[in-house]
Parts: sequence; structure tokens; C-alpha cells
Amino acid sequence: MFRTTLAGLRAHKLRLLLTSLAIALGVGFIAGTFVLTDTIQAGFTEKFAAAADKIDVAVLPARSEDAESSRPLSEAALEKVRAAEGVGEAQGLIRGSAALVGKDGKAVGSFPTAGISLPEGPLNRTLITSGSAPKTATQAVLDENTAKTRGFAVGETVTVLDSKNVGHEFTLVGLFDIGLDQQLAYTGGVGFTTATAKAMTGEKGYQEIDVAAAEGVGQEKARDAVAAALGPGYRVTTGEQYADDLVKANGADDQLITMGLLMFGLVAMFVAALVIYNTFNILVAQRTREMALLRCIGATRGQVFGSIVLESAVVGGLSSVFGLLIGYGMGTGALSVLIAIGAPLPSATAALAPRTIVVALLVGVVVTMGAALLPARSATRVAPIAALRSQIEEQTFRTGVLRAISAAVFLVAGTAITVIGVTMERGQLALVVVMAGGLLFFLGVLILGPVIVKPLAAFVGWLPGRLFGVPGRLALDNSGRNPRRSATTTVALTVGVTLMTLISVLVGTLRLTYSHKLDEQFPVDYMVQSQSGGLPRALGEALRDRPELASVVAIRETDAKAAGGRPPYRVGTFTALPDFTPKLTSGSLDALTPGTVVVADHTAKDLGVKLGGRMPLRTAKAGTVDLTVVGLFDAETSPLPEMTVPAGDFDRYFGAVDDRQLMVNAKDGTDLDKARKAVEAAAQPYPTAKVSSSTDIRGALDEALDMMVMIITGLLGLSVLISLLGIANTLSLSVHERTRESALLRALGLTRPQLRRTLSVEALILGLIGALVGAALGVAFGWASARTVTDGVIFTVPVLQILAFVAVSGLAGVIAAVLPARRAARASIVDALAAG
Amino acid sequence: MTITGEVGAWNARESATPAVVAKGLTKVYGQGDAAVHALRGVDVSFATGAFTAIMGPSGSGKSTLMHCLAGLDTVSGGQVHIGDVELTGLDDRRLTLLRRERIGFIFQAFNLLPTLTAEQNIRLPLEIAGRQADQDLFGRVVETVGLRDRLGHKPAQLSGGQQQRVAVARALISKPQVIFADEPTGNLDSRSGAEVLSFLRTSVRELGQTIVMVTHDPVAASYADRVIFLRDGLLVSELLRPTPQSVLDTLMKLEA
Repeated sequence: MFRTTLAGLRAHKLRLLLTSLAIALGVGFIAGTFVLTDTIQAGFTEKFAAAADKIDVAVLPARSEDAESSRPLSEAALEKVRAAEGVGEAQGLIRGSAALVGKDGKAVGSFPTAGISLPEGPLNRTLITSGSAPKTATQAVLDENTAKTRGFAVGETVTVLDSKNVGHEFTLVGLFDIGLDQQLAYTGGVGFTTATAKAMTGEKGYQEIDVAAAEGVGQEKARDAVAAALGPGYRVTTGEQYADDLVKANGADDQLITMGLLMFGLVAMFVAALVIYNTFNILVAQRTREMALLRCIGATRGQVFGSIVLESAVVGGLSSVFGLLIGYGMGTGALSVLIAIGAPLPSATAALAPRTIVVALLVGVVVTMGAALLPARSATRVAPIAALRSQIEEQTFRTGVLRAISAAVFLVAGTAITVIGVTMERGQLALVVVMAGGLLFFLGVLILGPVIVKPLAAFVGWLPGRLFGVPGRLALDNSGRNPRRSATTTVALTVGVTLMTLISVLVGTLRLTYSHKLDEQFPVDYMVQSQSGGLPRALGEALRDRPELASVVAIRETDAKAAGGRPPYRVGTFTALPDFTPKLTSGSLDALTPGTVVVADHTAKDLGVKLGGRMPLRTAKAGTVDLTVVGLFDAETSPLPEMTVPAGDFDRYFGAVDDRQLMVNAKDGTDLDKARKAVEAAAQPYPTAKVSSSTDIRGALDEALDMMVMIITGLLGLSVLISLLGIANTLSLSVHERTRESALLRALGLTRPQLRRTLSVEALILGLIGALVGAALGVAFGWASARTVTDGVIFTVPVLQILAFVAVSGLAGVIAAVLPARRAARASIVDALAAG
Repeated sequence: MTITGEVGAWNARESATPAVVAKGLTKVYGQGDAAVHALRGVDVSFATGAFTAIMGPSGSGKSTLMHCLAGLDTVSGGQVHIGDVELTGLDDRRLTLLRRERIGFIFQAFNLLPTLTAEQNIRLPLEIAGRQADQDLFGRVVETVGLRDRLGHKPAQLSGGQQQRVAVARALISKPQVIFADEPTGNLDSRSGAEVLSFLRTSVRELGQTIVMVTHDPVAASYADRVIFLRDGLLVSELLRPTPQSVLDTLMKLEA
């Protein structure tokens, strides 16, 4: 039996190639994910280990309950460490904010650059790439990226703001490499001597103390000595342990990426499983006579079953190995691309962990064999007498009761669960419930597929049937001819299109909903925000004096504690203006008189206060005040701080706090360019004041969303590609089955191009069915998902995007048909008539 | 050589405008030592409005001859004319169009498209050619083959005899210059076979259709006006107004 199987495989090499490719692509994606993340992880480990080599002991502040208030290490602690036995040298590291001022006089970037200290001596871990390290209080170094993007060169003078937003000038003496520091990669960084860094950032202590042990003292011994010298309240680790901790912290991120990518890999494998299932089904149907002959000469049912399963195991194994190679290539390729576009990733030799190999092979083989089980079982039902029948019967299909019932159960359950998800309180749980409902519904569609594929083919194929004459009509008939086969082929495509549509509907709807809500709240032309700290009130006054501007609303806020809740809350106010009327969910802003407060929904819930209730608030200047709640609002869409008191009260409670942000509207009829220039001119004296227009903000948001949709669509593209292999496979097998039919048509006068067109139109119809079902499901569940994320959803269907998905699917189907169609058209009529 | 001479004389005598003419037809499969000469130089013509049967033992080349005459296969040498058109040398597209316009086919099996109804199958050649069916002709053909109440059925719902009658109707509907039938009764029981053969003969008598039929069954051949015999790729004998007995006798002589 084994030899028969292998001989069969050799004979059908080409036929199985497409199937193998489907598995290989899925396995390749999974393997590629592992290779990519493993390689990144290995690179990090290597670099961290190298960096930590210099350190024998690291001292960190003890982890406190809330990370915010973890106290930095004091000067006294550093002295204690230095005095400890076995310590050769100890240095404290400073890290805080020190905003670099760009050549335009404004602080660079959306966030202030980090200010770090560069200790002298062997404990310095920052690599100077050009120039030298800072040695005096007037020298500074800049990270390479920031220097490049902001146009600074060594020798120039740079201005850096201290923690009070006062500018200081430094001579740029060198550039440094940020290495793998994700924070520095994001904000950029300025390096100083330790003392200068302390002064500039305003940090009260060190973030970390690095220790080099004295000659001949081991890491453990030095650690114990340092820990003993410091007493409790510190985390003291050896350098090795420190490196391990860094790797672990980084690994958590890495794992998240791995999980995300693997989700797409699983979708791809599911689609591949459908393709494999279909292929084996067709192969079994076509080899009915072969099976029957085997049964005639004495093979048992078990042996027939075994031969199919063995075949699938061999195919799965070979394809998985192939997939592993693809994955290795994809993983390393992706890493080079990521590094090339500037991601802060270490380059390392690609890691092919034993785990990757095992998982890839296991997934490939198990999925392939699993998908072949049902076809193998149907092969055992072939009666030996079938060997004697001259013609293979057309597979007929009738809707079985079992199919109808199970489809109904899944569809009803899916719908019910989705409805529950949509109606329950919105949030992550609701989204998960909707997704579960969607999955059940999809399974229902999968089961119902063979029933609905024929009417759908009639619907989708109506136009091509009219348009392409006889080839069109024949294609239409053929597409509905073997409903089970067509259904599985198209469902594979439906998976990808559904998910793509769902994402685009969800994102489109949320985008529209949020932007509408923001517009409704308070349409702002410009927003002035501080990069760090506050905006002096003088800036607001200057803006109010501008004739081009109509209204300027300042939002002020500070942290304060309220009794009975989690500390601290953001308490704030706004400068009142007649046309600034943020929406409340209950109560009224008119009631916001001295001694009252309006509170965000979730904060009120947190504190257990209701409209009309009273809440005590601890203030900086006025002690604890008792406030009456006169309104509640939705924090998600409101510009108000979570506890908003009248402006007069605020000053009385907390003093003259700086403005947090300024919302500015241009006067009607003013040229928007002019208005913007006016705002920018007013903000010029304040380096940290950042001006953005509502279109800037929306543009940035749109860009980010578009990017996300593009990446997800790209990742889902793989499953679409696999399903197209399925279409090509199904068609080529159908062509093989219909050899004599094609010959008859050719004899009756169908030209070669017409025969090719028949196949192309059939593929077009299959592709369109898959895409349309996918689009319908995607729109429905995209809507349901959007409902769970926020209320007041303004539903929108990105019609063009979805039409593009459908068109691309149809077109891709046609491309998938090219090879099978060519083969069908090339066949000699006489040979084909004689065949079978 | 003497026999082929006589055949030529008969052709000239019987009809001035033959429907199909082949001159010096040769067909070789393979090359060198492995070459198989299926046709070794066949001269034959088929009179318009006549029903001709091609007979011969297995491997005599009778199917190859039909395929070459019908433009389904290319020839190695010689010429074939259908009416005034020379087949040999036409490219695939023109050959296809010629088949579409001038030739009808009836095969032994797998004559019909399983997805189409009987009526759609009958009309298929016209639709491929983009022509309208002559409603009168359609009615007459359907009546002749007795399929009026079976038009909406799919092939799987028809008996073997009925399927072949649909095939006959399909061949007739486009009024081809010639119908080639390849063992049309090979898969049928004798009663159904007789029915199909009488339809073929009726269509020759009443519609003036030209039919060329390949068969190995002397009874089937006896329905024809004329039987030609092939052996080893050569035309070796012929019979006019054959009976089953005379066909059988000729075959016996050839086998000997």
C-alpha cells in the first residue's frame, strides 16, 4: 500500500504542487513570525548582555505599589554605595526631560527630548559615535537621529530648556548612539555631565546606580555588600541578573507582537485547511476507479483510508519543510526591511530555534492530515464494483436534514450572540462576544455554503452569462455544478475578504463617529498645547488680543485628591465663553456656580456620587472643600478635565495654575492662513507651546488609521493569496475532469479563446461569490463591532474600498484560471475524446 | 490498386458535387522506427445527400480517417475538401469555424453536456455560432427524433437511446454540409440502435443530409447507401446498397 501511495504521489506531482504551496505559505508565515521575533529577541539579549558586562551591580528604586511615585535614588544612597566594601566605582544615572529647542525656536517633536547623564569612566554605557563626551557644564551631546533630523552638527550651539522651561545654551561636542533604548528612539535625547543633567532635568535623584566591583571581587559578593550598606527599600541585582531583567521586560513586548502575527498565521492556516480539504475531496472523487480497483484486488477499507492519510502526511511534511524555508526567508527579509526603515532593532543572524522547526512541521502536518480525514473517509465508501463502471457519476448534491439543522443552529446562535453583544454594555467584553457570534455565524455560512452557492452563482453570473454568450452560460452552469466543491473554494476566499471588510468598516465608522462627536462638542480651529508643563497665562491673553481670532478658551488642570476614591484626580476649569458649551449627559453647565462641580461619568461612578450629591475635594490652598455635583459628562468626547469647577473657584483652590491647553477659533471670514500665522506669532516666545489645527490633528489620526488598515489588509492578503491557489487548484482539477466535455465543445465549434473564456468566467464567478459573501458578512459584523466600541455610532461603509476588495477578488480569480484554462484549450480534441 | 480505381469511377458516376473529398490522404503517428502509418494514401469522396459507412477491422484506420476528414486531427499528407473549402492547411481558428458552420458530430458516448437540458444541447452548435435556430427546422427535427416531451430533461434523466437521439437532433439542427458519426450505436441495445439508425437514414432521405458513419457493426452499416472498407490504412473495397449479409461477407474476405 505504501508503495502505491508513493507512486500515486509521483504521478500527480503537479496536481499537488498548488496544494503544497497553500500549506507552505501558511506554515511559512508562522515560521517567519517566530524567526523574526526570535531574531529580534536574540539581538536584544546580545546587546543587553554586552551593555551589562560593564556593570557588576545595579541598584534600582524598590518597586512601589504605583509606579508613578517610585522614589528616585538619593545622593546619600550613592555615597553609601561608594563606601560599601568591594565597590570599585559607582555612578548614578539621571534621566528626565530636557527639551531641545529647534532652529525655529520651538521645542522639537511632540514630546520633550530626554535629558540623560553620561558618567565618566568605564561605567559609561552610552556610545559616542563622533566628537567627545561632555566634560563641562556648558557641553552637551545629542543623539544621532535627532541631530540629523533637526540639522545640528558638532561644534554648533544648542538651546535646551530646563524643567522650568528656561533656555540654556550648550556647545554640541559630540553625537551618541541610542542603542536599543526605545524611549530615546521615540523622543530623542540630549546628554550632559551628571551634575548638569541633574540641574537641567530637575530630577531629585538617580534612576539607577551602576557599580563596578573592585579588582578581584565577584558580582555576588559586591551585590551582597551593596545591599547590606543600603538596607531595605532598594532593588540590588548583579549585572547578569540586570541584563536578564531587561531582556525579560523586552520579551513581553516581543511576545505581544508574536501573538498578533500568529493570529494572522492561524487565519492563513485555516484557509489553507479549506484548500487542502477541497483538493483531497476532488482527488478522491477522481480516483474512484483507482480506489475500487484496489478494493477489487483485496485492499481493505482501512488500507484505502490509510493510503489517503499517508498521502496527506507526505504532502504536509514536504510542504512544511518548504514552508519553513519560506518562513526563514520572510523573517530575515522582514527584519532587514524594518531596520532599513529605521526601526530601533538590533541586527543579528537569523535565529532558527528548535521550537520554530517543531511548531512549523507540526502545524503543517497536523492541519494537512486533519483536512484530509473526511475525504479519506469518503474514499473508504467506494464499492469495489465501481471499478467496472465506465463513467464516473456526476456528484449530485441534496440538502440533507442534518446540514439544514446544523446550519440553522449555527446561524441562529451566531445571530443571537451577536445581538447580545451589540445590546450589552459597550466595552472589550462586548466586542469579544460579537466576535464569537461572528465566528459561529461564519461556521453556519460554511455549512450552508453548498446550498447557497448555486443561487448566488445565478445572481453573480447573470451579467457575465449575458455578456459572454455561450462561454458565459457554460461557465455559469459549471460554477454551480458541484456545489460542495464550489462552496469550499469560495469560502476560503470569503475568510480573507470578510476580515478585510470588517476592519475597513470598523475603522471607517469609528473615524466618522469620533470626528462627528468632536465637531459636535466644540469645533476648534486651532489648539495650543504645551509639550511639557503648562502654558503661561500671558499666552492666552496675547491670543485674546489678536483681531483675527474670535474665541480663546483655556483649560487649566492640576492633580488633587478626593475622599473615598483613587488618588489623584485631574481637577480643572475652563475660561468661560458664551459659545463654549460642552455637552453634558445630565445636569447643566449653567448651574456651574461657585461651590459646584461637573464630573466625568466614570469618575462619578468611581467616587459613588450622583447628580445633586456632594463630594469633598482636598485642595492645595483652600483645604478640603465640599462641592455639589451639578452635571455629568462623557469623558471620551469632552475636552473638560474629569472634575471641572468654575474658573474663580479653581484659582482660589489651587492658585494661578498655568493653562494646560488653549482652544482657539478664528473670526468668521478671516483667512485661515492668516489666523494660523497670528496664533503662531503669539506662541513664538514660548518654545514649548505647540500649535496644531484641527485638520492637522485629524490628518495625523487619519494617517495612523490608514496605516493600520493597510498593514492589516496586507497581512490578510496572505490568506487571500492562499484561497486563490485553492481556486486555481479546483479549476485545474475540474478541467481534468471535464476533458471530454471540452473536447466535445471544441468539436462542435467552440474556439480555443472561447474555451479559455469559459474557465475564466467560471473563476470570475467563484471569486465574486466569495468576495460578495465576505463583503456582506464584513459589513454586518463591522457594524456590530463598532456598536460595541462606542455609542451613537454613525455607520459608514467605505464603498470604494469594499468594491476594490470585490473587484480584486474577481480579477485574482481570473488570474488563477489562466494556467488551467491554457491547459484545457491546448488539449488535442482527438486525444481528449479518446480519454477516459 | 484495381479496387481504388473502381471506387473513383463510382464516385464520378454517382455525383458531380461531392460533399467531402480526400486525395492521397496519409497520417503517420510518431517518428523513425516507432512511426505508425495509420493512413497510407486514401483517395475517397462522399456524395452529397448520401449515407456512407466506413468499415474495417480494428486498427484499419477508419477512426483516423474520420478525424482527418472532419478536421479534428491534422493530416501528414494529402488534401481534404469539405465542399469547396480545403481543410488541410487551415489554422486552428479557421478549422473551428469551419466545423461550427459545416460539420455535425455524433459520437459513441459522451455526446451531451451534462449541465444542459436536451433542448439546450440541441441548440448548442447554433448558439456557439451565434445563429438563430430555424423554428420550423427545430420542430421538424424534434418531431423526427421523437423528443418533444423530453426537451426539458437533463442527459442524466434520459436513456442511452434518447441521449443519442438528442445528439442526432443536435447534428441536424445546424444543417451541416456533412455529419460525421463515430460508432453512434456502439453503446446502445439493438432496438435503440435501430431507432437511431432509421433516424439517420430518414434525415438523408427527407432532409437530403450527407452522413459519414464509422461502424464495426454490419447491421448498422446496412442502413447506409454505400459502405467503404479500410484495411491497414488503405481503402480496399466498397459496397453499394449493402445488406448485413453482404457486409459480413466482405469483412470475412478482408480478414482472410
